[in-house]
Amino acid sequence: MPSHIDEVEFGEELPAFNPDTSMNNVKAFVRAAHWFGPRFTDHEAARREGLPGALVPGIMSQGFLAAMIHRWAPEASLHQLDTVFRAPLVVDEPCHINGVVTDIDEEAGEVEIDITVANEAGETRVFGTARARLPGA
Amino acid sequence: MILDLHTHSVKSDDGRAKVPNYCRWIRTRELPVDGFVLTEHRQFDRESDYAGLARKHGLTILKGSEVETEYGHVLIFGVTEALTRAFDFADINLPLARVIEESERHGAVPVPCHPGRKRVGMFAHIDEYGVPEGVRIVEIHNGGSRGREDDLAQRMTRELGYLGIGGSDAHIVSHIGRCATRFPAGVTSAAELAEALRAEEFEALRLSPRPGPPSPDTGGAGT
Repeated sequence: MPSHIDEVEFGEELPAFNPDTSMNNVKAFVRAAHWFGPRFTDHEAARREGLPGALVPGIMSQGFLAAMIHRWAPEASLHQLDTVFRAPLVVDEPCHINGVVTDIDEEAGEVEIDITVANEAGETRVFGTARARLPGA
Repeated sequence: MILDLHTHSVKSDDGRAKVPNYCRWIRTRELPVDGFVLTEHRQFDRESDYAGLARKHGLTILKGSEVETEYGHVLIFGVTEALTRAFDFADINLPLARVIEESERHGAVPVPCHPGRKRVGMFAHIDEYGVPEGVRIVEIHNGGSRGREDDLAQRMTRELGYLGIGGSDAHIVSHIGRCATRFPAGVTSAAELAEALRAEEFEALRLSPRPGPPSPDTGGAGT
């Protein structure tokens, strides 16, 4: 759990995170975010739209990613979260989030973190990078 | 020599990896690759010069391209200045036949990538357009494949008598080196890479664990 930029190493892996993608949690999220729509909360309605099932909202996935980074470094401030959605993340299907440090700018006090959201089969659903700033030593 | 033949940097619209960090990652993680090819989407990156970086890390860094055709995406190895003038790399509706013809005319090698994928893979379009003429090599190990996409690619490759390469399709640093291609001799330039592919002596490799459930149909199409 680094609190300063000089405690971070290139290639350092963040503790893996298995987010709660259950329907109950997604319903709680869409209520809080005022982001309503049956494609997020109703598997059958989502399938009628041609989707594989109800979708975990993209901004909820990003929230999971931010949470993973703050669990790793509570002192960090997140400056950028850049995600590429490759495949749907389906509600009630377990997924795993991994992060690894792939760039360190000690002068700016910033780290870049590769982030990957994969399903149980290990297939990448979402990938991207985050830039987080940590205090200097 | 082992090369990852399918990678993207920040030069691609969906690429997030800086090339120096690919190099550092390969060396820090001691990945069993000797280099990689940057196959940026819908363009050939003339400007970037990675020679110094390659020397610093003792890696081979080459440049190719990934263009888009009615049969899906196609990697091109051995791109020359003249080839970049032969058709518009940014066109998302290139005829595959033209890409093959012009590539061969200019000494380059076209390779349909992730051919088992819906929409952007060649085998998804065979029912509609038929088996394309002139394809010799396809990508059979793709680091971004999901489900049975690579299985389909390998099965169809066997059926149609193609050869197969491997590439990670990396868009972020930590995804490089998932798949690659082994060559019997060293490759130091894009022209040598095209020559090595034309020699048809290479082996597609999956270097990281394969995602998805175990498949009964994965072997035999490795070269």
